Amino acid sequence: MDKYILDFSATPDNLPIIRHFVQEHLAPYISDPIRLNQLTVATEELCANSIVHGNHSDPSQKLRLELRIDKKTLHIYLYDPAPPYALHKYPMPPQLLRKDTNRPGGLGIYLIRQLMDKIIVRRRGKSSVYHLVKNLT
Amino acid sequence: MEIQLSLSPTADGLTVTLSGELDSLSAPKLYDQLSQAIKEHPNIKKISFECRNLSYISSAGAGILLLSLDNFGHRGIDFELRNVRPEVYNILDLLGLTKVMTVSNG
Repeated sequence: MDKYILDFSATPDNLPIIRHFVQEHLAPYISDPIRLNQLTVATEELCANSIVHGNHSDPSQKLRLELRIDKKTLHIYLYDPAPPYALHKYPMPPQLLRKDTNRPGGLGIYLIRQLMDKIIVRRRGKSSVYHLVKNLT
Repeated sequence: MEIQLSLSPTADGLTVTLSGELDSLSAPKLYDQLSQAIKEHPNIKKISFECRNLSYISSAGAGILLLSLDNFGHRGIDFELRNVRPEVYNILDLLGLTKVMTVSNG
């Protein structure tokens, strides 16, 4: 299984870097452009939630994204210093416009849950660990 | 790649050409420019987004399209996304945008 690591600070300016990292390293394994894009979107949404909501876009907070992939399975790990949130328990489907804010809400989490096969959230040491799994066969 | 925007008024509407990536960084720029254009052309009946060169959209990008539809659609403005690439269409479809606005595959 191959492993790729990206360390980044919690600022939204890093989102383009994150998705280009994902595209670059997954492209050799995934030829279908729709599937490659789906996995890029799921990873970006995961990181965006942690950057914006978990760490309040504080660039002093450091996160690690790790991709582990072989021909059969992709594992995406995000190590986040902020407390964990119940990514796998959010109510579905999303509200296209939330009644309380009158703004779209929950779209990113909905995408992650639609696009990935398994989501595991746990606390390990000083990090929250988000582990997303996608079967590639 | 940052988003590139170009807005062109037509007889009864506005064509917005999108190039690049529509994400949480670039989505506010789109909303600001749309709001300004609608203020300058209050009789617009249709906004057509030309998406041939839109290579990526995140939930924040899709969200700004929904917010625009909600805020401007009640003025009787129709929204249309044209020539959407399959990867982008797939994300819009998963989020249900293809049910609330006209989205044509490129």
